[in-house]
Amino acid sequence: MKVNNKLKKNIGRRNFIKGAGAIAVASPFLGFPNISLGKTHEVIHWSWLGASDAKVWKSCIADFNTAHDGKGVQIVMETFPQDQYDTKLLASAATGKAPDFGWQWTGSKAKWANNGVIVPMENLIKDAGLDLSDFSANSLDKCRYPQVDNQICSIPMDLMTLCPEVNTDHLAEAGLDPDSPPTDSASLIDWGVKMTKMSGGKVSRSGILQTGSAVQPNVTWGIVAHQMGFQRTSDDLKTACINPSDGIRAMEWVLDLFDKHKCSSRDVTDRYKAFRQGEGSIFWTGPWTLAGNADAGLNYRTYQFPNIGGKHINYFEAGSLEMYIQKDKGRYEETMKAIKWLSDNSFKWTTVGRGGSPRSSILNQSNYKTAGPDWNKRGAFIEQLENATIGEIPVLGGGDFTIYSGGNGMVKILDPVWIGQKKPEQAMEELQTLWQKHLDKG
Amino acid sequence: MFKSIDWSGYVFISFFTIPFLIFNILPIIFGAYVSFNEWGIFGEPDWIGVENYINVFKDKYAYLAFKNVILYALIIVPSVTILGFFAALFVNQGWPLSAMGRTIFFSPYAVAASVIGLIWVWLLDTQYGLINQYLNIIGIDNIPWITSYEWAFIGVSIASIWWDLGLAFILFLAGLQDIPTDLIEAAKIDGANKFQRLSKIIIPLMRPIINMVLTLQLIATLRIFSQILVMTYGGPAGGSSSPIFYIYSTAIERQLFGYSSAVSMTLFVFILILTLFMRFMLRARA
Repeated sequence: MKVNNKLKKNIGRRNFIKGAGAIAVASPFLGFPNISLGKTHEVIHWSWLGASDAKVWKSCIADFNTAHDGKGVQIVMETFPQDQYDTKLLASAATGKAPDFGWQWTGSKAKWANNGVIVPMENLIKDAGLDLSDFSANSLDKCRYPQVDNQICSIPMDLMTLCPEVNTDHLAEAGLDPDSPPTDSASLIDWGVKMTKMSGGKVSRSGILQTGSAVQPNVTWGIVAHQMGFQRTSDDLKTACINPSDGIRAMEWVLDLFDKHKCSSRDVTDRYKAFRQGEGSIFWTGPWTLAGNADAGLNYRTYQFPNIGGKHINYFEAGSLEMYIQKDKGRYEETMKAIKWLSDNSFKWTTVGRGGSPRSSILNQSNYKTAGPDWNKRGAFIEQLENATIGEIPVLGGGDFTIYSGGNGMVKILDPVWIGQKKPEQAMEELQTLWQKHLDKG
Repeated sequence: MFKSIDWSGYVFISFFTIPFLIFNILPIIFGAYVSFNEWGIFGEPDWIGVENYINVFKDKYAYLAFKNVILYALIIVPSVTILGFFAALFVNQGWPLSAMGRTIFFSPYAVAASVIGLIWVWLLDTQYGLINQYLNIIGIDNIPWITSYEWAFIGVSIASIWWDLGLAFILFLAGLQDIPTDLIEAAKIDGANKFQRLSKIIIPLMRPIINMVLTLQLIATLRIFSQILVMTYGGPAGGSSSPIFYIYSTAIERQLFGYSSAVSMTLFVFILILTLFMRFMLRARA
């Protein structure tokens, strides 16, 4: 009793509060369990998607979060303009605050793999149980970088190529048969010329929609040049500009669209708007335009890119998800699981969103062709993937080899050609110098 | 013998000085250091000496950007100065619609440059732009304002003049309102006509303001960027590019921070020389 009374005296209210506060402050250092009721692991995802496919991707992330509600993991997505993404990503990685994963064009970041910004995923894929045999070999090959022993450094989510979208109202007006699309250069030019409208000696409606600089003429050149036999590098990545005369011929082919056949205009400012407003008849672009075209109420069909040069090949790009270096390596496991879920559940992304699925289990689903936009708008993008082989060059300076670019080193050399300020031969010499310099660096 | 230092003054100025040193001076010093390196943010800078500066002087696209900015300065600076001055004169005279003129002339300046750029992209569209529609009415063919190498920098200049006019206008208006009215009255009584009052009284008294507007406008024009980014993206083929845009595209798009820092340092020296030259010329004329 005496002891109890003594205890009661000593443990007053004030002393109790002091003691409780001291224990609370000391608890992290004493290894007491952190009672953080229901703490959720946030997987940080950065995206630069900004076209009409962006809202589909946002819904895919929302689907993940709904499926994992209450399971302790959620994806937090932040969006950035595409032209700023790389710099922001590098700055965040340099300061140890990189997001967990983000979007990238497959095969375009050899330098990042070399510098350790992106994380090789072979072991993580095994641990997460992602079935690589379900992926097409071509798509996985493009995700490997020689700089890290050919390890897979991203998971392909969608495969894309460029196909001509053709305004069917213009086709009908010109009396052309929509079921007999052009298959070579002559028939393509024929369609282009017949659908062109002139005003005062200038093209007022482009039969073949181009712009005077930036992406459109340069990617056109890239595709046509490779079809004609040109290669940006040798297969062993040692020599630049194989068959340069074919590359020069391809430049002349592009110039002829403006100057000889007069079915294209240099005066188009926004090619997407121009096509959707009926200012152009044939516009080769990617499947990211499908949702936007639907919103604009455009009547069009999509066809395979014709065989202009002799080799029926096309441009290839794949959107993929890559993981970034983290201070806490323990984060990789949850991130890989999130990527696996998104890949396993990419049916919506590769039907309503964009691109063809790299996974046979998704391609073979009975409703793959009927989900999403009409197959006569979407089908060509999927069907032509089998000969889409003009991809990224996996070297440290690979960015300057990309044919789908608005401002890389290749574009800076070629843009003056399209406006008549530089001869194709001179441009080819400059390309050879630039690309050889990059190949020599490895 | 020793004066005690009143530290309170230093404390007061430290609120500006310390952030200024950290956020203005330190980045300049760092930029100068990076300009002698090859650096892509991630990893350590790689010292390469003056190689970046040599490449700047060999780079035809850098040369084109600097050439374009001189053209921009030759078009925009006198246009903004002259138009701003006459807009201020119009408002100051109290003529009909001068009250509305005050709002009309200044309001573009309150809008962000990127918004100006977006509006003018549509106004200057080759086929459907309003400007070409009005030109067609008076018999002039469509001009490719922003899609042609020859016209792109003029299209950007037009948008810039419309945007920059507001600041020049407000500075000139303030200056005009400071001119003693009895001088003008005395000149009127002495028989001076409008042109004589303008050339012999108003313009000489406005000279300090004119010098200031010219200097400010020159510096602003040499830093032109937002309009180019939105309207032409530097094209076609670099025809409308500027040094700041070129720095942006090499740094942010291609992560060549060492090289873009060298272009930045070159631009800094370029602006300094040009500004000093202009100040010397204006002082000599005064």
